Amino acid sequence: MGKLFLIARSNMRRAKGQTAAIVVLILIAALMLNLWLMLSTDYHANFDRYHDKLNAEHITIAADIDTDEFYDHISNTLKNDKRISEFRLDDCMHMFGSFPYNGGVVNGEFLFLDKETALSRSIGRSELVEYGDVTSGVYLPMLYKTDEIKTGNFVEISIGAHSVKYTVCGFFNSVMMGSHNCAITQLILTQDKYDELADLGYAPKAALCSIRLNDVSQNSNAESELKGIISTRFPDIRIASNCYDIVFQSRYIAQGICSVILCVMAFLVLLIALVVIVSNIINYVQVNMKNIGAMKAIGYASGQLVGSLLFQFTVLTLLAAVVGGGLSYCLFPALNAMMISQTGIPYTIRFLPLPIAASIAVLCGAVALFVWLAARKIKPVESITALRSGIQTHNFKRNRVPLETAKTPLDVSLALKTTFSGIKHNLTVCVTMLVLSLIVVFSGLMTENVIADMTPFLNLIVGETADSCVNVQIETEEDFLRMMRDDSRVEKIYLYNSLNISHSGGAELMATICDDFSKVNNRNVVFKGRFPKYDNEIAVAAKYAKEKGFDIGNEIEITANGNTQKYIISGFTQITNNLGRDCLLTRKGYERIGTLTNVSYYIDLADGTDIDGFNSGIKNDLSGSVNATININETIQSVAGVYVSLMTVIVLAILILSAIIITFVLYLLVRTMLNNKKHDYGILKSLGFTSKQLILQTALSFMPAVVLSTIVGLIISCIAINPLMSLFLSTIGIVKCTFDIPVAFVAVVGIVLILLSFGTTCLLSLKVKKIAPRTLLAGE
Amino acid sequence: MADILLKTEKLCKTFSNGGAQQHILKNIDLELYRGDFTVIMGASGAGKSTLLYALSGMDTPSLGTVNFKNQIISDLSQDKLALFRRRHCGFVFQQIYLIDGMSVMDNVLCAGLLVNKDKKALLKKAKELFAAVDISDETQKKFPTQISGGEAQRAGIVRALINSPEILFADEPTGALNSKTGLDVLDTLTKFNEQGQSVVMVTHDMRSARRGNRILYLKDGIILGECDLGRYCRGDTARHKKLADFLQSMGW
Repeated sequence: MGKLFLIARSNMRRAKGQTAAIVVLILIAALMLNLWLMLSTDYHANFDRYHDKLNAEHITIAADIDTDEFYDHISNTLKNDKRISEFRLDDCMHMFGSFPYNGGVVNGEFLFLDKETALSRSIGRSELVEYGDVTSGVYLPMLYKTDEIKTGNFVEISIGAHSVKYTVCGFFNSVMMGSHNCAITQLILTQDKYDELADLGYAPKAALCSIRLNDVSQNSNAESELKGIISTRFPDIRIASNCYDIVFQSRYIAQGICSVILCVMAFLVLLIALVVIVSNIINYVQVNMKNIGAMKAIGYASGQLVGSLLFQFTVLTLLAAVVGGGLSYCLFPALNAMMISQTGIPYTIRFLPLPIAASIAVLCGAVALFVWLAARKIKPVESITALRSGIQTHNFKRNRVPLETAKTPLDVSLALKTTFSGIKHNLTVCVTMLVLSLIVVFSGLMTENVIADMTPFLNLIVGETADSCVNVQIETEEDFLRMMRDDSRVEKIYLYNSLNISHSGGAELMATICDDFSKVNNRNVVFKGRFPKYDNEIAVAAKYAKEKGFDIGNEIEITANGNTQKYIISGFTQITNNLGRDCLLTRKGYERIGTLTNVSYYIDLADGTDIDGFNSGIKNDLSGSVNATININETIQSVAGVYVSLMTVIVLAILILSAIIITFVLYLLVRTMLNNKKHDYGILKSLGFTSKQLILQTALSFMPAVVLSTIVGLIISCIAINPLMSLFLSTIGIVKCTFDIPVAFVAVVGIVLILLSFGTTCLLSLKVKKIAPRTLLAGE
Repeated sequence: MADILLKTEKLCKTFSNGGAQQHILKNIDLELYRGDFTVIMGASGAGKSTLLYALSGMDTPSLGTVNFKNQIISDLSQDKLALFRRRHCGFVFQQIYLIDGMSVMDNVLCAGLLVNKDKKALLKKAKELFAAVDISDETQKKFPTQISGGEAQRAGIVRALINSPEILFADEPTGALNSKTGLDVLDTLTKFNEQGQSVVMVTHDMRSARRGNRILYLKDGIILGECDLGRYCRGDTARHKKLADFLQSMGW
């Protein structure tokens, strides 16, 4: 052990710079690995911790009915269901609503509970996380706390066609109804405001069924079945519901995206670190061939020499991983704040030994394996060969770029000779640039499709976007459509309604009903086959079709309101909503099994139209018949804000990290090259080559590998990025990504990478300038 | 009057070694003449190579000046010194110092192309020089590790002469060679000197020193003595004796 330590220490002293650079790369990998593991393990577990703490529901159903008949029926149904461990029924009010948030508007199915009930329910209890002295008003989910929405401020809430203004009393945490991503958003009113709203009658009275299951995994199917039972017995009532799986996934989309990015980045940085370490060891063996021979000659075994390298790099990795793991705790608060702004569930940072232990184990294991693989070269070297510096008398190498025939300038020719002689350097550069190219293309993709214009990303997440959405009662539909036809601001209008239906013998599906699918803006929703055209056609989510083994042309049975009909699958859809359990039906198709009681129309308006003014006009003209109007642009803006800021941080971090990595890798390579070529450079200087020429040659020698691998990497990445994104997003129901690739952005960043590489290499090669040729020749 | 090529005034070179100052060259005043085969002799550690490198602009003196044809070169920047070396100097080293990654021909062209952009003319000159030192076309294509030490050193001489330098500096050119190949190298240097090439050679080998017409003896950083031997003539025993007597007088 003592001998190993001495050899390792000597190696590290001789290569302080290289050691430092490798440590930094491992440190970055450890930092990201630990962040990823913390996010993907404990962050998810946090949801369950709160779920347990608040004894939250596995299924929540809000039905707009409060008759004794309903309560008796649902009680009996739930009591007799063996899957249900406990349930609870509460009075509430339920209505579609919205309020201003984050520069836009948040809207959804609002469920109003009185404070006492909300805070004391045995199932699905809410906990106040902030409150003040205000005793009359509303408590909002903690997600919505902003500079504008804070305790003591007013918030104006639209409820159906009406609006009310409340003072914000505080904020609460609700696991299953604490966000607009949960399908139902709970708002807590103080008793006086609750009674006041009930008297106003803006929101219908409803029954809230909170259900816990014996086996959580049955939540999605049980939810579907229970809703089916209710809608069969009470066909005309409005129902909103959610289940554990839906809420769990939808509240953690940003966390999931962030986890995947961190994971990929961590392993890419690790890959670069491993390539650098391997290159370093191969170079070490070459440069220290004589020393190795001398040590072998005095009795050191190959195993001891390999062991010293293993010891050296594993200990370095261990230290770097511990420091990187520690540093990840410095970054975690900022990441946590970003995540909470999307999940809306508090998370208390604490030390997690398992992720850090796993990070250290992965890094040390990977480094040890690669060091062992690279250091094995020492074993077959005989001491006498090593003492002769490994030179073989019979040498069959080719003279690349012979100066006799070369057409390039002298410095370029000499640089090319160096390029051809340094295959391992080129490989390291190639791997680094290929990885960085992929990272750059990903950054470009996110910049184009999330930061600059979020529509492509939203098309995947929410499916369809337009300017305005108006929900009217079915009796008013004709008047509404006539009004729209006469309005010159309306460019396009189409029915776009969402309803729950059931696949007979399968799961509940969210059906999007449209009168003419040729009008929808997002043509990518159906990525295989086509939109339904006839009343016997249906397009189903690819994820669900895969689960069930369906193919296009298959016939499936759909049930709604107790009616069942057969439909032919015309295509596959991909939307992340509803866990990939969605489908598309034509209006006539739906009317074979049910009747629409109200209809939602999506409207595209002429450029420059005041959407809020347009919506208000409809409300005024059709007063009482309009259930809700939504400014979709504003809604997107409020929801998108979280993703945009998250992606901006990620893209910036990626670009900065890329610059750091390229600098470190080039630093290592240039240093190694200068050490290896010190002798050659001494000769060249003595012959009359200037420092500038040698610096230029060094930089140019890296350029073929840099330029080629960057170009190839960017092209491959541009081709592969959408399939790769599909792979990563497949867990949330995305099968085929069609993100726009920003060619200009990618080209510019590619050029910047190449210029950065050239500049960095030139800067790092400046060391040549300070050394006199005699010193170089002496190898000092 | 002899044409002065290089002239030093109060040339000093000092090295720091762990805080201790080591004076290698002490106030050397020296003139080197065109067409001479100057030999610098001395025991190991006398400062011979240090003097050679200082004269050739490979190293900068600590004090004093080096003057090349009335231009002070000791004050030049590293890059200007590099330009000076490529235009006016050629080097032959004890360890030969051909670049292993280049063929013998490329080693020569690499130096030649720095000065001569006419590749055709350069190739012609290289071929002539290779022929003059008896290096075949086949050997020119080989890598330095594939040829003998003598061949490598002769290739080194070709590289040193490719730009027609005004002075050829040779640092123990036979030091790493056996007696036969060493002799070949000395013959080559002598031949070029006879054709007018100025040569400055460092050696501690008397047999090599006989080739020079002017012998300088360096001891403890100063030029202890100088001997004019006249032009080399094979088998001139009187000349050899004169050198032996001189070296004896210097304490050799």
